[in-house]
Amino acid sequence: MKLSTGDRWDLIDKISKETVTFGAYKHTLKDAIGELTVKPMTGIPVAIAIMYGFWSVFGSFAGFFTDGFFVRLFDAYWLPWLQEIFPGQGGWLYAIMVDAGGIESGEFVLSSNCLESFGVLTSGLFVAVGVVLPAIIIFYLMLALLEDIGYMPRLAVLLDTVLHRVGLHGYAIVPTVLSLGCNVPGVAATRILETKKQRFIMMTLLAIFIPCGAQIGIMQDLMPNLMGWILLYLIIGYFIFGYILNKIVPGKAPEFLIDVPPYRRPLLSNIGKKVGGRVRGFFVVAIPFVLLGCAIVGVLYQLGVIQFLGDALAPVFVGWFGVPKETAGPLIAAFLRKDLAVAQLDAISDLMTPYQMITAVVLVSIYFPCVATFAMMLKEGWKELLGALAVLTVVVFAYGGLIHLIGILLGVA
Amino acid sequence: MAGQSPGGTIYFAVLGIITTAFGLADLLVTASGSEFAYAGILVIPGDIFRGGWGGIIVLFAGLFYLSGIRNFDDIHQFAKVAMGSILIWVVAGCDIFAIILESIPSWNEETGPWFNTLPDFIAAYAPPYAPAVLLLPFSLVVIYYIRKRASEDGGAGIYHERNG
Repeated sequence: MKLSTGDRWDLIDKISKETVTFGAYKHTLKDAIGELTVKPMTGIPVAIAIMYGFWSVFGSFAGFFTDGFFVRLFDAYWLPWLQEIFPGQGGWLYAIMVDAGGIESGEFVLSSNCLESFGVLTSGLFVAVGVVLPAIIIFYLMLALLEDIGYMPRLAVLLDTVLHRVGLHGYAIVPTVLSLGCNVPGVAATRILETKKQRFIMMTLLAIFIPCGAQIGIMQDLMPNLMGWILLYLIIGYFIFGYILNKIVPGKAPEFLIDVPPYRRPLLSNIGKKVGGRVRGFFVVAIPFVLLGCAIVGVLYQLGVIQFLGDALAPVFVGWFGVPKETAGPLIAAFLRKDLAVAQLDAISDLMTPYQMITAVVLVSIYFPCVATFAMMLKEGWKELLGALAVLTVVVFAYGGLIHLIGILLGVA
Repeated sequence: MAGQSPGGTIYFAVLGIITTAFGLADLLVTASGSEFAYAGILVIPGDIFRGGWGGIIVLFAGLFYLSGIRNFDDIHQFAKVAMGSILIWVVAGCDIFAIILESIPSWNEETGPWFNTLPDFIAAYAPPYAPAVLLLPFSLVVIYYIRKRASEDGGAGIYHERNG
């Protein structure tokens, strides 16, 4: 039997009348709140509040463990104990593993805290466990909560228009936020973007303008008063250079379609799995790089390489970026460990004005990505890596010079 | 409609005005760069994070209350009122979380006990409080209206009406 189109529709109507229950949908409070968080007029204040909560809890939690317990544990117990029992005080192995110390009146002097000792077992472990670990745990916990509640898709919708200006779309917020924990999963998450152009822009912006959890943790610990200004400069740079990249990089930046789920109560088991997996990943990928980076920086210092490069590049740092020549060493070491570079900058903070400190830390951030991110970018393609590095070199000089110029115009440089 | 919950409308109108005033005060004090304390119960932090950023959120909370009170019984309007309270809970919750964590360690860098003494621990919770913490108990009234609305609606989002 063959049915005409009209007969088919009649049949469909008949079946649906017998099987489908029709009803009127009445909005619940959850629905209405869900809508409010997507509309710009009401959604942006909510996003501002969520970000405030995120950073406030992050700062309180990380400060509680780092300043409340780990600083004392490492500085008052771990460092003196290692300084005493490790053989060969003043030797190169001692300097790399425990304490590079300093020379006062021709005498070798031990460091008084783990941030100044620059040893793998002291600074390296302190940064990895005492500073970064609490920061990473709370960061991923907050992120998992926002994901499981259902807020991240709403944030993506809210930021879609803004991110289109830089050639991306709303979902670019996922790699961006992930990178604030660690750039490595952030770079991996760029795969959710559809086109090569989008992935290249995202990867480049992450490598340059998004500080990782290790760096944020140590900035929060050492220079909380300057952190707002540093992040502001990075956010402005993210959009300025994203806009320029969008104009010059060929390719398409398509629209995106997203199904915004209702708000849900997060499941503890899901949160536990997500946080556990990400923290484990951080341990496996990043912590070896923290320790290895610390060792390599120590070796380069011992061999005088960083001193040599610092002296050679000092005119650029002083003349172009407007920072003292003593910052050259930390800025070069930043290629291996940005967190340690920030700690080194803090150790010479007496030599700098607050504005120079802001400039130096922004330079550390926009400088070469850390080795782990570098390796991850290489995995995404060597052409992309080379392109990103070319952009990065231009950005470091252009943006670093611009920040110096702003300082001169404001009379604070 | 306002007539159905005049108590709620008046309550959240007053709370909205006070919250907006607190938000503005937060921003003005932050702009002045110094802390403001009043009668040993209220303290407005002068730092850019809690005073400035937090102040903006308190201001938004007040504006949410004020924009939601008109036609209070409409679910979309009521959601604005609920959102105003949620914003206050975020700021106050963060303040209380910070107080709790700051009250536990002794913050000694070299020697002495690792944890705070009991009197210092208790003293950490004494006033003065930031505006959002003072507003917190008053913002909780919204829970009563959420429950009232849920019981009236049966708590469901879909009404089934068989046709045919």
